[in-house]
Amino acid sequence: MLLILGALPGIAALAAYAQVPEAVVCQKCHGNREFLARRVSTPQRAAALYVPDSILRDTQHGDIRCTDCHAGYGAGYPHQAEVPVVPCQTCHEQEGADWAASIHAVGEAVEDTPTCVGCHGSAHTVYDAEDRRSPTYPLNVAAMCGRCHADARIISTYFMAPEAAQARVAVPQYYQNVHGAALTRAGLVISATCNDCHRAHRVLPGDSSESSVNRSHIASTCGTCHVGVLETYEEGSAHGAAYRTARRSVEGYEAPACVDCHSAHQMVRADDPEWFLGISQKCATCHRHLWETYLGTYHGQVTDLGFGVTAKCSDCHTPHNMRPASDPGSSVYPLNLVATCARCHPGANENFVKYYTHGDPHDRERYPLLFWPWLLMTSLLVGVWGFFGMHSLLWFSGVAIERVRRRARTRGDRHDTRAGGTP
Amino acid sequence: MTWRLASSDRGEGPYIWRFSPLDRVLHAMVIISFFGLVITGTPLLFSHTGWARVLIRLVGGFQAAAVIHRICAVITFAYFFTYVAHLTYRVIRSSDKKGFFWGPNSMVPQPKDFRDSIQNFKWFFGKGPRPRFDRFNYMDKLDYWGEFWGVVVIGGSGLILWFPEFFALLFPGWIFNVATIIHGIEALLAAGVIFTIHFFNANLRPEKFPIDIVMFTGRATLEYLKKEHPLEHERLVREGRLEERLAPAPSRAAYLWSVVLGLVALVLGIMLIALILWAIMQWNA
Repeated sequence: MLLILGALPGIAALAAYAQVPEAVVCQKCHGNREFLARRVSTPQRAAALYVPDSILRDTQHGDIRCTDCHAGYGAGYPHQAEVPVVPCQTCHEQEGADWAASIHAVGEAVEDTPTCVGCHGSAHTVYDAEDRRSPTYPLNVAAMCGRCHADARIISTYFMAPEAAQARVAVPQYYQNVHGAALTRAGLVISATCNDCHRAHRVLPGDSSESSVNRSHIASTCGTCHVGVLETYEEGSAHGAAYRTARRSVEGYEAPACVDCHSAHQMVRADDPEWFLGISQKCATCHRHLWETYLGTYHGQVTDLGFGVTAKCSDCHTPHNMRPASDPGSSVYPLNLVATCARCHPGANENFVKYYTHGDPHDRERYPLLFWPWLLMTSLLVGVWGFFGMHSLLWFSGVAIERVRRRARTRGDRHDTRAGGTP
Repeated sequence: MTWRLASSDRGEGPYIWRFSPLDRVLHAMVIISFFGLVITGTPLLFSHTGWARVLIRLVGGFQAAAVIHRICAVITFAYFFTYVAHLTYRVIRSSDKKGFFWGPNSMVPQPKDFRDSIQNFKWFFGKGPRPRFDRFNYMDKLDYWGEFWGVVVIGGSGLILWFPEFFALLFPGWIFNVATIIHGIEALLAAGVIFTIHFFNANLRPEKFPIDIVMFTGRATLEYLKKEHPLEHERLVREGRLEERLAPAPSRAAYLWSVVLGLVALVLGIMLIALILWAIMQWNA
């Protein structure tokens, strides 16, 4: 689609010249396989020069003239052997400029540099991105990008810098992730593919502030499709508010954006237990103490053992609408607690929600009701076990003393016997 | 009689009864249910360790562990209430009611127990002879009352955690926090006492090493009685009641099974306490 829109001004300008069906002239030779085979040395070259109207007519370039791109061939025959092709950006100005600014255009151009034809294929077979045959059709994009990003030679030649780590693994990871699975396994063309997040022409690395996948833009990039989630996140969640204002945590961490929890290329379904378990630990990056106290509860212990069934952070605090407990819109606002707990505990009542989900028995100030039982029980444990443990250890001392004395007595007896005394 | 692995079967016979069939069945229920409870419960307390993750999967995951834990809890309540009911019945039927609450056949701690413990500490330091015990020494009573206390405290707090929605009709939610604390620490105390102190007093101390199967076969040799419970022996002789307590020797099969199962339980318990101590050290590290 972009291709068509971008090409419109160019096409309009060319329309004036399109009077003569000039292709008919070129077709005389370039639509004749036998002729080409006679004229050039190799069959490969002959195949490349074979551009019959039947192919061309069906492509995006079907109604422009051969000489619009192959300018300089117009006058007479036989024409020169090689004349440079007019660059694509002559017509596709915006795409050309975007590409020139992208990471694909950096450095000196080499044979492997992904230029227009690298992704779109030959100009003679360029199809609309909505055409199933196009390498830029959603179902084909990942494979097209993978021609470089999953190619061992390209990877080992160009992507070995530490900052290119993502470029090495992105495509294989994509095939495994929820977007890739939706596309390749469920055949769902509306699922995100490479260019939906990275853009088609202005592909920029994530650390570039202009990039669509830069931290500062990632929420709106994901929100292009996940509109509802973006609204929830931006409009009231504590994380969204901090993200908007670029506020950092006490520890210096940036507010979590989409990819911090879901990752960029390894995002899985939200009900995947392994991922879910990892998420709770990610929350702990900033919410350390809440995580530690959570681990003291049954919810946390079962989570810690690697089971996804008991309540995780997002089960009580919601995945995208987490708000402070003082906010009436929060799932953990006191008046909303019964409803929140009742999602798993149908019988939850006013009493039930007085449970301390993050109670700390070591904190005498805030949780005296937990501190004193904890201290009492711990003292009992240490006292009883310590006392009787010592009792058991001292038993050996009793036995040892007994044996030493018995031996001494036996030796004494023998000595007495030798001396002629009575035992 | 030759030397035997089980200390209860060493030395001169004949055999003398010590525990009734009901005592032995109830003790077997204690062993089975307690191992079930510890194996399915400790992984929660030490969820930070690798062994906890392995152990919980060995029993079939945390859902299976939760079911096994509750089955063992039911076994615990079953032996507890069976014992209490039987005890009540015996007290009511007995002609010597005072004997249940005082004297050598009673489990009630008495001045002699305190004197014996002091005497034992003197013996530890070579400052006197060993105390001479009657039918139940003060370590037996520790085990007995520890079991009582443990079942009430762990069982009670466990019931609260088993039926939170019901208990929330009566109590504020923080009692689940308190119940969790009490349940966990008291369970550690129970495991600690049983797997080290009870194991030592009943099996591992030098006089009994490595095992004493009197609780399985219900009987021990006369020599064992004279060594471990000399006052009881003298009393039985004095009262002319030793005859009443004469028992046939346990069958070879009963002896072997008791030794094997007892040793398995000992090794398993020691392994569990080692894992617990290791986990506690990781906690502090």
